[in-house]
Amino acid sequence: MLTTIYLVPLVPLVAAVINLFFGKRLGPKAAWLACAAMLVAFAMACVALAQLLALPVTERTVVTELYQWFSAGTFSVDVAFRLDQLSMTMLMVVTGVGSLIHLYSIGYMKDDPRYGRFFAYLNLFVAFMLILVLADNYLLLYLGWEGVGLCSYLLIGFWFEKKSAGNAAKKAFVVTRIGDTLMLIGLALMVLQVGSLGFSEVLGEGAKTLSEGTATVIALLLFCGAVGKSAQLPLHVWLPDAMEGPTPVSALIHAATMVTAGVYLLARSHVLLTETALDVVLIIGLATALYAALCAIAQDDLKRTLAYSTISQLGYMFFAIGLKEYSLAIVLLVMHACYKGLMFLGAGSVMHGLGGETDMTKMGGLRKTMPLTSAFFVVGAWSLSGLPPFSGFFSKDPIIAAAAELGDELAWLVASVAAFLSALYIGRLLFLTFFGTYRGDKHPHESPKIMTIPMGILAFLAAVGGLLTLSPKTGELEDWLRPVFGHEPEVHEGFLSESSLTSISVLIALAGAILAWYWFASGKVAWQERRARHPRTRAFLASGMGIDEGYRRVIAAPGRLVAVFLTAFDANVVDGAANGVGKLSVLVAVVGRRLQTGFVRTYALGVALGAFGLLLWLAVRA
Amino acid sequence: MTPVGYFLVLSGILFSIGTVGVLVRRNALIMFMSIELQLNAVNLSLIAFSRQLGDLQGQVIAFFSMVVAAAEVVVGLAIIVAIFRRRRTADVDDADLLKW
Repeated sequence: MLTTIYLVPLVPLVAAVINLFFGKRLGPKAAWLACAAMLVAFAMACVALAQLLALPVTERTVVTELYQWFSAGTFSVDVAFRLDQLSMTMLMVVTGVGSLIHLYSIGYMKDDPRYGRFFAYLNLFVAFMLILVLADNYLLLYLGWEGVGLCSYLLIGFWFEKKSAGNAAKKAFVVTRIGDTLMLIGLALMVLQVGSLGFSEVLGEGAKTLSEGTATVIALLLFCGAVGKSAQLPLHVWLPDAMEGPTPVSALIHAATMVTAGVYLLARSHVLLTETALDVVLIIGLATALYAALCAIAQDDLKRTLAYSTISQLGYMFFAIGLKEYSLAIVLLVMHACYKGLMFLGAGSVMHGLGGETDMTKMGGLRKTMPLTSAFFVVGAWSLSGLPPFSGFFSKDPIIAAAAELGDELAWLVASVAAFLSALYIGRLLFLTFFGTYRGDKHPHESPKIMTIPMGILAFLAAVGGLLTLSPKTGELEDWLRPVFGHEPEVHEGFLSESSLTSISVLIALAGAILAWYWFASGKVAWQERRARHPRTRAFLASGMGIDEGYRRVIAAPGRLVAVFLTAFDANVVDGAANGVGKLSVLVAVVGRRLQTGFVRTYALGVALGAFGLLLWLAVRA
Repeated sequence: MTPVGYFLVLSGILFSIGTVGVLVRRNALIMFMSIELQLNAVNLSLIAFSRQLGDLQGQVIAFFSMVVAAAEVVVGLAIIVAIFRRRRTADVDDADLLKW
């Protein structure tokens, strides 16, 4: 299985092609085909994992070259796959969480007229995502990178009859493309400086020959790609809108897998990250974590809250990378895929039970009518807030503690504030949705088994995921990943001991959760009246601090002006030139045809005068 | 030998008569005759120069132009006869449809 790892992306790809062409004819069978492909891929990934574990630690990198993709002079690119601890981890997340979400989609997308196409896109996405994480060179990675971007576009706009969905799809595509383009420039720079795009060449010998400045530029250009894909400041604007897509898509693409591709990219390229680049990553990550947590508090839409939460959590991952804690970033990635995937599926289940309602102010008390969904959601929210014993505690808190241990007090403080806000917004979401009394006018009902069982499995994983990192600092998952990242981050004497740091972060999370409970579920605070008190602050936070509006004014409005100008230019100058030639010849003809009298003697006179003139000219000249 | 100038003057006079004839007369047959006059004026000057320069080329060209003129007369007269049959007139100003 180790050398035939290319089969793992191939199986979903084949299923996608079959479903694309015959999806309509297959009807409900299309879903089973897609799920079977996913389960086969997952099974193969499990076999590969077992085989990789059986190898000694130093030999756990298997590179399989399939064929040469193309070559130009000394530069060549192979289609080659690399299986090591990092890509194996990603492989398990993508196939594992992916399979569960596929199964869930059977129930969620039931009765959709484009059932087969949905599963074709979903399978295609998984195939590209697997190519992305398995690629052994940056170009193949980029192929997967753009492929998942395409599928993201197709799936956000899956219900394209809705104008907002179509717009959100276009927005996601265009905004991520900004980052992708910069990343492509980074790859070009890599070819120029190193002469290769292979991981072993660029990250091995190549990285040593690069000057500090060049490495920084390349790393930052790669980071730009990651910023676009992983929705970090300032290119995060597409992710909240991407919630227009079907909810399983939000769970799979916009929470668990695709948006974490940026984290994977930087973790993979960690050799190139110089101190300057690390600082930039750290600041952007931390700023995003805080910013998105603040915005999440003011959202009324269930899915948008989760979207901002995802942005915030991704910010934590980049924060961890900025701290050189690459393994911690990947650990959080894995745990986040479980609990955020779970919460999105929970949100989907709520929408399913409420006929598509996403406004939290019209929910409440759903734990009575949707007991399973509520229970699973509590596990997800508990994990996310970072309270023990669930997985968030083992993945997020170590990152915050690492900041303190590396002696960065300010970063620790900001990260802690963001952690407090995380507990607050997820508590708010939980209490508004599942506790209190029902405020809507629909008839909520529990979702079918095909939806609750995948949620149950994810809830189980989110609950016990912490076991993978049993000891927060030298966890098993970290040990497993360590050979990829090579070094131990140097640990300074922190200003607080590890146990007190852990207690502080637990207390902070607890405080956030209790505050959320006090405001939204205790019944002692009339939150609906409090909402009305600060409409402007609320609107400011709810709109993502006006960044969208800012882009609209600063970039979209001038862009529209340019478009108007160019349209006018095209209509008047370009078309004008073409039409003008026609009009001119008509004009010339209107006058010129009068020369054609039809009288033969006139023509004869013309010839005679012409000959006479010619003679005269010859005489004068001589 | 008669100086070439006399021939050229005669040729010029003939050509001018022909030109004026083409321009002022309306009858197609008369115009046709005027054109023949122009052609022969040119033939005359060709032969005059040929003799002056002691070169046969001019005479050769004159023969060519006579042959071509004969062919032209055949076609031209046929057209004029056809027009006359149709319109009962040989006035060229009446045949002015080929315009605009």
